[in-house]
Amino acid sequence: MRRFNLIRPKVTFWRVILVLVLLAGAYSALLRFTKGLSATTNLSAQFPWGIWIGFDVLCGVALAAGGFTISAVVYIFHIEKYRPIIRPTILTAFLGYSLVVVGLMFDLGRPYNIWHPLIMWNPHSVMFEVGWCVTLYSTVLMLEFSPLVLEKLPWQRPYKIVKSITIPLVILGVLLSTMHQSSLGTLYLIVPHKLHPLWYSPLLPVFFFTSAIALGCAMTIFESYLSLRAFRKQLDFHLLTKLGAVAAVTLSVYLVIRLIDMQARGVLSQAFQPTYEGRMFLAEILLGVIAPVVMLFMPRIRNNQFGLFVAALMVVLGFVMNRMNVALTGMDRSSGVHYFPSWNELAITASIVGAGFLLFGLAVKYLDVFPAEDMKEIAEGKRAQLPALAAFRAPLWSATTMAFVMCLLFMGASVALAYDGIKRRAEPVSLPEGTGPIDLSRGLAELKMPGPIAIKMGPSSPGLCVFSHARHVNAKDPNCSSCHAGLFRMLAMTPDITPDRKMRNCGTCHDGVKAVGILQKERCDSCHAKT
Amino acid sequence: MDTQTVAKKALLFDSTRCIGCGACYSACKEKNKLAKTSVNFLRDNLSADTFTVVNRRNNRYVRRMCMHCNEPTCVSVCPVGALNKSAAGPVSYEASKCMGCRYCVQACPFNVPQYEWDDPITPRVRKCDLCRDRIAQGLPTACASVCPTGATKFGNRDELIAEAEARIRANPNRYINHVYGVAEVGGTSVLLLSDVPFDSLGYRTDLLQQPLPHLTWNVLHKLPSVVGIGGVLMSGIWWITKRREDVKRAERDEEDAQKAE
Repeated sequence: MRRFNLIRPKVTFWRVILVLVLLAGAYSALLRFTKGLSATTNLSAQFPWGIWIGFDVLCGVALAAGGFTISAVVYIFHIEKYRPIIRPTILTAFLGYSLVVVGLMFDLGRPYNIWHPLIMWNPHSVMFEVGWCVTLYSTVLMLEFSPLVLEKLPWQRPYKIVKSITIPLVILGVLLSTMHQSSLGTLYLIVPHKLHPLWYSPLLPVFFFTSAIALGCAMTIFESYLSLRAFRKQLDFHLLTKLGAVAAVTLSVYLVIRLIDMQARGVLSQAFQPTYEGRMFLAEILLGVIAPVVMLFMPRIRNNQFGLFVAALMVVLGFVMNRMNVALTGMDRSSGVHYFPSWNELAITASIVGAGFLLFGLAVKYLDVFPAEDMKEIAEGKRAQLPALAAFRAPLWSATTMAFVMCLLFMGASVALAYDGIKRRAEPVSLPEGTGPIDLSRGLAELKMPGPIAIKMGPSSPGLCVFSHARHVNAKDPNCSSCHAGLFRMLAMTPDITPDRKMRNCGTCHDGVKAVGILQKERCDSCHAKT
Repeated sequence: MDTQTVAKKALLFDSTRCIGCGACYSACKEKNKLAKTSVNFLRDNLSADTFTVVNRRNNRYVRRMCMHCNEPTCVSVCPVGALNKSAAGPVSYEASKCMGCRYCVQACPFNVPQYEWDDPITPRVRKCDLCRDRIAQGLPTACASVCPTGATKFGNRDELIAEAEARIRANPNRYINHVYGVAEVGGTSVLLLSDVPFDSLGYRTDLLQQPLPHLTWNVLHKLPSVVGIGGVLMSGIWWITKRREDVKRAERDEEDAQKAE
């Protein structure tokens, strides 16, 4: 096994990029915890949840979908041939959850209170349930992942203990993550007036769950290719093909339910209207659902290594588009602002993803993530060829090529639709103030100004001063705020305002410029009673 | 006081009586010790230092503040119970519990809760608490106590609803025949009267009549049964498929044994 040279690592393109991203992320993190969310994010009261929730949490959690799908298939349904994929999917799920927690540490205003839901219960809150699921499922994933580490240790006892509770752990894990995937959709059930009807549906939990299963399959395919590229390791190809088929069936079911639901709610036509939301919706459905489903249903593509990889990648992209549309696009119109993540938000998100890749790479290198037989075959040179290269050697006129062209067309169309959509994003309109005079007659008829206020006399006072609201207020258009904004209190009165030689109270206006000056002694009797 | 006997308090805001003097705005700042945020209060917005505003909309003055819903969305979504609704009506916030997820800001149908975005370590959710402490002492809210025209009136919710309806009956041509806040999202403790459509004042008229927490609770309350049924179902499948494998293996062993014989 190649060991990573810590002293002089090989400089590659992707490593340089990773280091740059991590540096930008570290700087942004420092800024976040010294200057606050306003200095680092474009979040506001109008748009309180941005890309850290939309991408890091909604998409990060979904990385675990591969974990629970494959675990259920192998441990619960005893379909043993998928056993070789268990470890990489569990690893991804574990990393996904760890990264969600890391992402939350930036997003939460008081991250040190992240444990509060465990002791301060509010079972009516979806977020409460999400918090519990993240905690429990992270623990389960850690235990499911621990054999990889424990088996390397000289003591076998902990390894055996964890092994013996595998089945209850898997059942608990499947239940928790099922609940959790759907709960992220449930989070948005409470904003029926804010989320655009193209995405808001009472069935959001169902949509989030089904799309997560498809994503689980796609992520497993995608990762096994990435690890092949990076480590020359690959899984049994037939397993991946089957996963592709499962993803296609799940996505078809998802698409059909979604369209029927939209038809039932009478919003299907909005998808075709030339609006920001309509275009983003079409881009999501065309690129992320219909295109990969078509590709995966064609055996020629599904059984082609590169074809399967591209289709899986499109499922992943489509999933991300859906979550971003729910979290960002769908909330845009009602928010009254145009949210776009700041570069700090993007840098932290990119760093989290980069750290995920880094940890995945390290785990594959030092732990037995992939089956040992594969390692042997690689050593014997049986599995060194990159699938991408193999695909390009296929004859140009094959159905595969046609499919790739189709896929490119789909992608192009989707990007064009999204671009068109962004151009159509309507500027937020503020409610008109109205230009006409405001009819104050009703209010003025009811107007009751406070009575005269006798100001406590100081020893040098030239005479009693009684403040009269009637004399100071413009009775046609009273403005209480001009004096009562900070200067004179309204709730607890402070009549003892003498002597006012420092011009703090009466003198603020009675300065000889705005009104009769209080220091012009010859005019004392304009306010003070003659004695 | 026993929670059963506490009358639900409320504010009635009659936009036809508001003269835009800003007394409520200033009294609120004074009561809550909030920093100055504007030169012209009529152009101010709700913020971490502004719990109520008077804005000019459609040639009327209209107030905005926390509506103190009967079944508040913010209280229901808060994962740690940092927001609470008391029997007398105020929805108030406890910063020490808060973890800063801002689900309350996201979920509020009236876009009321504000956040201290500038604070890097201890940001708080900020909003009107219906002068909880004043109400407990039997006083009206600060804003109502200083309103010179009675546009903002404090009282028991049911009495204020009756009064609002009486005002509409007395002047059916002036008012829109609707007391905003009686039924919106299940009812609120801030009630509004207007002579122009409420949406032109910035108050949504398409809000559901049912409390929004029901939308998520309908799903959440099913979870214990999902866990129970799902757990049993999966254990069952595990047992059946395992049994099938075991039987298959035993048969194979038997065959092998027979062959060996």
